[in-house]
Amino acid sequence: MSKGYTLNELLIITCAKEIKDYQNVILGVGLPTTAGALAKALFAPHATLMMESGIIDFEPLVPLNHIADAHSCRGFSYATDLFTAFTMTYRGFVDVCFLGVGQIDKFGNLNTTCIGDYYHPTLRLPGSGGAADFIAYAKKTVLTLRGGQFVEKLDYFTSAGYLEGGDSRDQSGLFPKGSGPSMLLTTKGVFRFHPETREMYLAQIHPGVTVDDVRKDVPWDLKVSPDLTQTDRPTDEEIEFVRRFAPTESVGRSLRTELAIENALNRAKRRGKA
Amino acid sequence: MNDNTNKVMSAREAVRRFIQDGDELIIGNYTVGTCTELIYEICRQNKKNFTLYSQSGILDVDIMVNAGCVDRLVTTYVMRSGGKAGGGAVERALQAGTIEMEDYTNFNYNARLVAGMHGMTFIQVLEGVMATDLFRKRGFMGEDKYRVIKCPYTGKEILTVPAVNPDVCIVHVQRADKYGNAQYWGALGSVAAAALCSKRIIVSCEEIVEHDVVRQSPHFTIIPAFRVNAVVEVPWGAHPTEVLGHYNRDQFFYGMFTKANTRADTVKAWMDEWVYGCSDREAYIDRYAARFGMGMLDRLRARSFYSAPANYGAAFTSAWDESGRERSMGLTLEEIEQRLAEKGMLYE
Repeated sequence: MSKGYTLNELLIITCAKEIKDYQNVILGVGLPTTAGALAKALFAPHATLMMESGIIDFEPLVPLNHIADAHSCRGFSYATDLFTAFTMTYRGFVDVCFLGVGQIDKFGNLNTTCIGDYYHPTLRLPGSGGAADFIAYAKKTVLTLRGGQFVEKLDYFTSAGYLEGGDSRDQSGLFPKGSGPSMLLTTKGVFRFHPETREMYLAQIHPGVTVDDVRKDVPWDLKVSPDLTQTDRPTDEEIEFVRRFAPTESVGRSLRTELAIENALNRAKRRGKA
Repeated sequence: MNDNTNKVMSAREAVRRFIQDGDELIIGNYTVGTCTELIYEICRQNKKNFTLYSQSGILDVDIMVNAGCVDRLVTTYVMRSGGKAGGGAVERALQAGTIEMEDYTNFNYNARLVAGMHGMTFIQVLEGVMATDLFRKRGFMGEDKYRVIKCPYTGKEILTVPAVNPDVCIVHVQRADKYGNAQYWGALGSVAAAALCSKRIIVSCEEIVEHDVVRQSPHFTIIPAFRVNAVVEVPWGAHPTEVLGHYNRDQFFYGMFTKANTRADTVKAWMDEWVYGCSDREAYIDRYAARFGMGMLDRLRARSFYSAPANYGAAFTSAWDESGRERSMGLTLEEIEQRLAEKGMLYE
C-alpha cells in the first residue's frame, strides 16, 4: 500500500516533472519553488534554478517565502540583479519558466492584474511582476492555476499566451518563434495547447476527477484529448521528499497559517506574555 | 564635489530633513529586507502626497497607502492580503478613488530606474508587452507611460519607457560606514538602481561599520558615499521582513499584519499600535518583546555562513623595498637625488 498524498503534493510533483536535466529554470513564487527543489533532488540534478531577484543557481534547503529569498539556501553561485535576470531571458538563456494564473483564456493569455474594471477594480490582483516579460521570452512556460478561473475574455490582458490562436503569436513579431505556454496545471488536471490552433485542451486528469468536473470550470466547449490520461500517482519517494522538504506546502497555505498563528500564540501564552 | 562627512543621524532627523510632501519617493528594497523603520517614520511625521515608486509592493507599500501618504503609485506588483476575501490597502484605495496607479512589468519598471541612473532620458525595453493591456491601458502618465520609436539601426519598431529620477530613495542595507558607503548582499533586485537614479538617498542599516571594513570589501558596496545624504543605524530596521546574515522573516508577525490588512478598521488598529504607537524602532522592539517575548526574535537570528574572503592584497604597497631602495631602479631616495643633480636635471 503506497502513501496517501495531498492535492498540493500531487501538483508540486506533476509540476516538477516539467523540469528536465541541464535546463535553466526560472521559478516563480509558491508551488514552483518547491517543484524546483524536488526536480533538482530527484530528476534534474544539473538544472540551474534561477529567480528574477538575481539569485542564480541555488539549492533550496527549506521552502522559499518569495522570489528574493536567499535565506532558504546556503549561498548561491551567481548574484546578479533583476535587470540582468530579464535580459538573460530576453536573449534566450532561459529554457522554462513557471507562472501562476489569475484568469486564463482558451489561448493561454493571462490576467494577474484585476477582476472587474482596471481603474476601479472589484479585486486588485498582484499585477504583472515578471510574468509578462517571462512568458514573452522563456523558451517555454508552465502555468499553474489554483485559485484562478477560465474565462472567455480576460478582464485585463497582463501576459501574452498565443494571442488569438493559430500562428498569431509568431506572426506578431514580438516573441521568439516557438515560445509560449506549454502546459497549464490546475487542481483538476493538465491542459496543453494544440500545435496548430493553439487552443488549450485537456490532456490529463488527476485521480478521482471526471471530465465533467473539469468542464464545469470552463465557459467554452473544452476540447479533450482522444488520448486523455490520468496524472501519474506520486511515488512514495516523491511524496516523502515533498513532505520532508516542504511540510508547509503539503499542508497548504490556509491551514498552515492557522496552525502557525495558533502555535505562536500558545508559545507566548505559556510564557505568560499574551 | 561631495559632502563626505559623518552623515549618521536618527530616522526622525533624516526623514524631516530629506523628505518633503509631494516628493517622488522610491522604496529601494525589492521584496526582501524593506526599510520598514524609515517607512514608519514617514507615516509618523504625516508626510503626504507622494508619488510612490516600488518594484514590488509588500507590506511597505500597503502601510504607506494605509497611512494616506500616497497619491500616485508606480509599481509592478501589489500585495494581496487575504486571497479572494480581502485585498489590501492598494485595492481599497483604488476602489475609493484615492490613488492613481501605473502598472509596469518588472523589467520595464526597472529599466526606468536604470535609464535614470545612467543619465539617459529613455531606454529601450522588452517589447512583448505591446500585445497586452500593460501597453494599452494608461494611468496618470498617459502617452508617456510607453512610447514606440523606430530603431535608427535596424528600422524595427522598439518600445521605450522614460527615465525616472525620483526626489528621494529610502533603502535598508546590511551595513554602511558613517560616510554613507552602503553595503548590501543577497537578492540584488533593483536596489542599487533605485538608489542611484534618485536625487537624494537615505540609507538605513543594521550596523554602522568602520570605513576600513568597506575598503576591504568594495564588491558589497552598492551605493557610494558621495551620493548619500543620511545614514541611519537601525538594528531590526527591516522587521518583520528579513535581512540576510541578520534575521529571517517574522512569519508570525507578518501574518498578523496581513490578516489585519484585509480590512480598513483592523489595519488601523494595527497601525495605531505598531507604527504610530511606537516613537522609534527601539520602542517598537520593546513593545514586541513585552508582548511576545524577546525569544520570538532571537529564534529568527541568522547563524553564521560567511562569504569566502576575496584577497584584495598586492605584492607590495610601497614603491620602496624593505631596505629603502626603489623597487625598479634599486636606489635609495638620496641616491636618486644625487643622480638627478649629477645630470643637471634639478632646477634651483
